[in-house]
Amino acid sequence: MQPSRTALLALLVVPFLGAGLTPLVYRVLGERTAYYAAAVAAVCLGLVGSLYGTTGTVVVPWIPSYGVSLALYVDGLALLVGTLASGVGVLVFAYSGGYMHGEPGQAKYYATLLAFMGSMLGVAFAADLIALFVFWELTSVSSFLLIGHYQDADASLYAARKSMLVTVSGGLFMLVGFLVLHDAAGAALGEATFRLAGEGSMLANADAMVAELRTRGLLVPVLALVGLGAATKSAQVPFHIWLPNAMEAPTPVSAFLHSATMVKAGVYLVGRFRPLLFTDEWLVLFAALGLATMTVTAILAVAASDIKELLAYSTASHLGLIVAGFGLSGVLGAETGAFHILNHALFKAALFLVAGIVAHEAGTRAIDDLGGLYRDLPVTAAVTVVAALGMAGLPPFNGFYSKELLFHAAWEVATEAVAGGGSPLWWLIPAVAVFGSVFTFLYSIRFLMLFFGEKPEALGEVHSPPVAMTAPAALLGALALAVGLGGVTATAGVHLAPVEAFVGSVVDGTVVAAGDHGGHGNFSYHLPTKVTPYLLMSALTVGVGAAAYPSFDRIRDGVRAVRAVDPLRPNWYYDGTVHGLDRSAAIDIVQTGQLRTYVVALSLVTAALTLGAYAAAGTGLPALVAAGLEPALVVVLLVAVVGAVAVGAAPSHIAGVLTLSIVGFMVAIFYILASAPDLALTQLVVETLVLVIFLLVLDKLPAFYGSIPRLRALRDGLVALAVGATVTVTVLLSTAATPEDVIAAYFVENAPVPAEHGPVFVDAGGGGNIVNVILVDFRAFDTLGEISVVAMAALSVVTLVAMRERGEVR
Amino acid sequence: MSGGSLDREPTVIARTVTRLVVPVILVTAVALLLQGHNLPGGGFIAGVLTTTAFALIYIIYGLDYLETELLHRRPTVPFGTGTGIVREYGNVFAAGLAVAGGGGLAAVALGFPFLTQGVAFFEGVPVYHEFEIASAVVFDLGVYAVVVGALLTILAVVGAE
Repeated sequence: MQPSRTALLALLVVPFLGAGLTPLVYRVLGERTAYYAAAVAAVCLGLVGSLYGTTGTVVVPWIPSYGVSLALYVDGLALLVGTLASGVGVLVFAYSGGYMHGEPGQAKYYATLLAFMGSMLGVAFAADLIALFVFWELTSVSSFLLIGHYQDADASLYAARKSMLVTVSGGLFMLVGFLVLHDAAGAALGEATFRLAGEGSMLANADAMVAELRTRGLLVPVLALVGLGAATKSAQVPFHIWLPNAMEAPTPVSAFLHSATMVKAGVYLVGRFRPLLFTDEWLVLFAALGLATMTVTAILAVAASDIKELLAYSTASHLGLIVAGFGLSGVLGAETGAFHILNHALFKAALFLVAGIVAHEAGTRAIDDLGGLYRDLPVTAAVTVVAALGMAGLPPFNGFYSKELLFHAAWEVATEAVAGGGSPLWWLIPAVAVFGSVFTFLYSIRFLMLFFGEKPEALGEVHSPPVAMTAPAALLGALALAVGLGGVTATAGVHLAPVEAFVGSVVDGTVVAAGDHGGHGNFSYHLPTKVTPYLLMSALTVGVGAAAYPSFDRIRDGVRAVRAVDPLRPNWYYDGTVHGLDRSAAIDIVQTGQLRTYVVALSLVTAALTLGAYAAAGTGLPALVAAGLEPALVVVLLVAVVGAVAVGAAPSHIAGVLTLSIVGFMVAIFYILASAPDLALTQLVVETLVLVIFLLVLDKLPAFYGSIPRLRALRDGLVALAVGATVTVTVLLSTAATPEDVIAAYFVENAPVPAEHGPVFVDAGGGGNIVNVILVDFRAFDTLGEISVVAMAALSVVTLVAMRERGEVR
Repeated sequence: MSGGSLDREPTVIARTVTRLVVPVILVTAVALLLQGHNLPGGGFIAGVLTTTAFALIYIIYGLDYLETELLHRRPTVPFGTGTGIVREYGNVFAAGLAVAGGGGLAAVALGFPFLTQGVAFFEGVPVYHEFEIASAVVFDLGVYAVVVGALLTILAVVGAE
């Protein structure tokens, strides 16, 4: 069924509109804006819900001349991400109402969060590569603003910049990949298109696209470019470094952006491109990337000292699991990725909300200071049991099923490859999967143990959280539990049909049409009923994990010791690079902070570009026409020249300014002689104002700077000559051209009062002063733009000069 | 600051001439604004001329003179952005933009394209006999307000440095 055009477009308009109205709403509602934002998110959730069961494309033209459109595509995968963005959005906004109580900058917070939700929905439904890229970068920008929410904290600013640099630069690589795809589509599909999904799109002609890319030798570059975009966004190794820092954001933001939605954009991209680009190269690249991330970040999570840091590394690790799933071949791989996106969003968003409650009520996030919280926070503890065990991958909780699918897929890929004569190295895939999962088990249990055991003495009174904070966490926990128990009942023959059908439709969006056989739309999951190699892999994970848990502290210290070695830390490279760029020698030469350096560069570049363009176009100099030059005009111009020379020779600033105004006034007289009274008037008035302002400023300047070195005088003279030559040539060229005066004739005809007219008319200017009529009537739109610029200039002066004391530098 | 931006006290001649000249400049500016449709003039020129008059006051009488003598209040923080006369200048150019854009929207409301200007003639007006009013005057008024507000903002902020 075709999706409703209205619903789909409204879905993109509503969040941004809501964001725009937020400052006004905040004035009326104050802190209750949270519930307004939650209502906006609920509307979006309803709109997403109305799209269930539909598939298809809706196209709105955007830049037709470049073939760019705002094409929106609905399928299972888009709906999954859309549901997460709006559904978790509702809960997070409600939760924010409690969490953000008394915090600064709430209007900005809710507006940005709503704008983010809109961008995320855009990413999910965009079917045009350019539109996808725009929404993609919008999520990066809003994430930047939200991470840097506490503008006074250095850590927030560092984290915000880091996430911006990493994700936006990754996005630029992705854009290059998109352009290559666009180009390849020109040959493969007959016409170059940015359309990713739908009819006549790249996905619909995946085989032709892959063949074309392969013949051009561009398949691996495209995989790498798109992969870089996904890896930076989804915090894959070695770009995982921004995610732990991003935890400086308020906890609801962490739960929303950095667990359930934005970081899912990367894995969404991988899932979206999987049917298009799935090849052997894809398998190696993404399986390796995913498994490496899953393992490395799981190990780092064990070493974490802060509960949000632990969750951040764990998020990166689970994103790695999803990428690995999409990297592996077959329906199993697609099922792993699709199902784990859902499971991870449920348990991880719940855990982040739990972390927020703990930090809020216990007053600390340090893992070592927390323990035995179940006595004070019983509901939260129950949520944690469900979510943490799901994260650990223990049956019957939801994470178990998707992890089991990963083991299954890894096992299948390895056995198939080895049976087909591949090297035994393929066994690394299942081995690494198990190895990484052991650490996942370890940190999940460690997180759970915050609630059990003895309560440390130092931990003071733990308050009980408001309902607005516990309810969303409990709801997410209940959903996670329902998905988990669905597997148990399925074993007994009662399937959780909505979830299975939904995940099935997501799988449909990510399976390779030709390569993956069977399994379309009939996804189901249940507890294992017989002993299989992959069940043994799960058992091994849990067994080794349980055996290692008693020595958790020693493992943690060991990881910390390794982590302390600089060359092993991606952060070390990041900080070194950023610092190096910040203070490199080149910057000191280019950015002297002196106006004259910039003026010289600007003038020379302008002159070179202009003259170069004339030369490139082969324009010849027109002959000088001296006809029509009256004696009066010559005298005026000569005086102006004398004035100009006098400016250069002026012994003081006062003399310089006064002689400069001679030039200005001579130009005004020139206008009068050329019968342009309006221009002359303007020139006179502006000249007067400039003179007055100069007088205001001059008193503060030294009377004379002293003599300048001869070399610099020579250099300045040359620059002046170059600029003068450019202007002269331009004037000669532009006045030599005599286009047919169609426009001027029109103005002359239509500006005055017509000979015959009624009492009211709008088709003529009705004014004797053509210049003014052009300004305010024929070209009023231009004038509106110009006065806007004047207003902006005033605003920027206010901002630059008067507000410079505010902001970052205090 | 309160003694004026110049270190030296301006002469009596300068003060007296300024007192005489400023009203003349302002009247001229208004005349230029109103006659702009048929004779040389217009919002931009009138705006710059008005600014020149204010700049003269700033130079001769100091930056605080306008506020203390005309508005009868003590300037608080000199030229803070949120308070004082800079804020009022800001209101002037914001209002100017609103007038210019709003006039354009009025045309839309009447069914014409954005910023369409019309002209009306009134017969039998005393003294003038026939009197012409162009809707462009509204737009020109907006231009005038933007130019005056923006230039004075710049002048005041930079002058306070």
